[in-house]
Amino acid sequence: MPARVKYRKMHRGSRSGMASRGMSVAFGEYGLQSLERCWLDTKQIEAARVAVTRFMKRRGKVWIRIFPDKSFTKKPLETRMGKGKGPLESWVAVIRPANVLIEVDGVTEAVARESLRLAATKLPIKTKFISRHKLG
Amino acid sequence: MKSVSLNAFPRVQARRSGVKKLRNNGRIPAVIYGRQQEPQNLEIDAKDMENLVHHSVSENVLVDLAVQDDKRPKRLALVQQVQHHALSGEMLHVDFHEVAENEKVKIMVPVETTGEATGVKNGGGVLEHVLFKVQVRALPKDLPEVLTLDVTHLEIGQAIHIGDIKPPAGVEILGDKHISVIAVAAPISEAQEAAEAAAAEGATAEVEMIKEKKEEGAEAPAAGAKGAEKTPAAKAGEKPAAAEKGAEKKAEKKK
Repeated sequence: MPARVKYRKMHRGSRSGMASRGMSVAFGEYGLQSLERCWLDTKQIEAARVAVTRFMKRRGKVWIRIFPDKSFTKKPLETRMGKGKGPLESWVAVIRPANVLIEVDGVTEAVARESLRLAATKLPIKTKFISRHKLG
Repeated sequence: MKSVSLNAFPRVQARRSGVKKLRNNGRIPAVIYGRQQEPQNLEIDAKDMENLVHHSVSENVLVDLAVQDDKRPKRLALVQQVQHHALSGEMLHVDFHEVAENEKVKIMVPVETTGEATGVKNGGGVLEHVLFKVQVRALPKDLPEVLTLDVTHLEIGQAIHIGDIKPPAGVEILGDKHISVIAVAAPISEAQEAAEAAAAEGATAEVEMIKEKKEEGAEAPAAGAKGAEKTPAAKAGEKPAAAEKGAEKKAEKKK
């Protein structure tokens, strides 16, 4: 989540369409690309990051290409409608199809595949493994 | 770089709907442009193009384009850009850059490594690709498809810079000579990993608000304080006068 923001509460915005940026492997050799759209919250991103780093055992390098910069609010339970926007619930990253979520480098393809597979199990969307040289 | 022959056809359809029909019929829309010629819309067979790209080391391919009904039998061109669908990887569009045989051109050439760096093998370091592509200038026939760098001698903390690369004959490597292309970084220590994890945990703290009126807000209490300082004195000074005025008014009313 961001360190400083101008406005704490945001509009929900739109998740439609495909990703128009952050769609290719930019830093590492292999990446995990989203095939669906969702809001990924801080816990899910952190769980995926931990899964990758644990499997790679301090070998190689990991890049997290997404950042939860969007806040969302929720009304407390058993509250009547109205009385303003609810309190802040969490921070999320808006994910659209084709967004590259995580990248790794400095490991073999087999290690990269397995580590990103483990990371994908922590995410609520379908993803696929991509390489810098080969698509798909 | 050896040129490969490729057949192309002039294209009339330029709008989205027309281009979609083309793709459904197994063709890829393309364009050819160059210094000497006017740009021309083309279409090429998707299978031919896929074969061409998949059988080359990189997407930098020199082609002898045979355009149907064209005055010139062969047009020498470089594959400047291939647009892919972000998810399926399907080719959407190809740009051909027409070049002259005797004129130098600038292209980005991918960098590949051979061997295992000593720093990675013995020290557990991480081989980092700082630059994946390097810009080169050469005649079309001299252009390399890929630049291969031997990294076996690299220790932890060492790097190969643009200036260290020995270009093939007739090729000039462009860019700042001090920029590193390949480097071997030290492995991540346990302390660093722990610090990363701690930072991730610490990120759950409260978010600070950026307030544009912070300075004004900071001044306001100060001003208020000044006001507070002033007001009692002012009030003290004003009060008797106000009291006098009030007494005068009352006296007038009584009259």
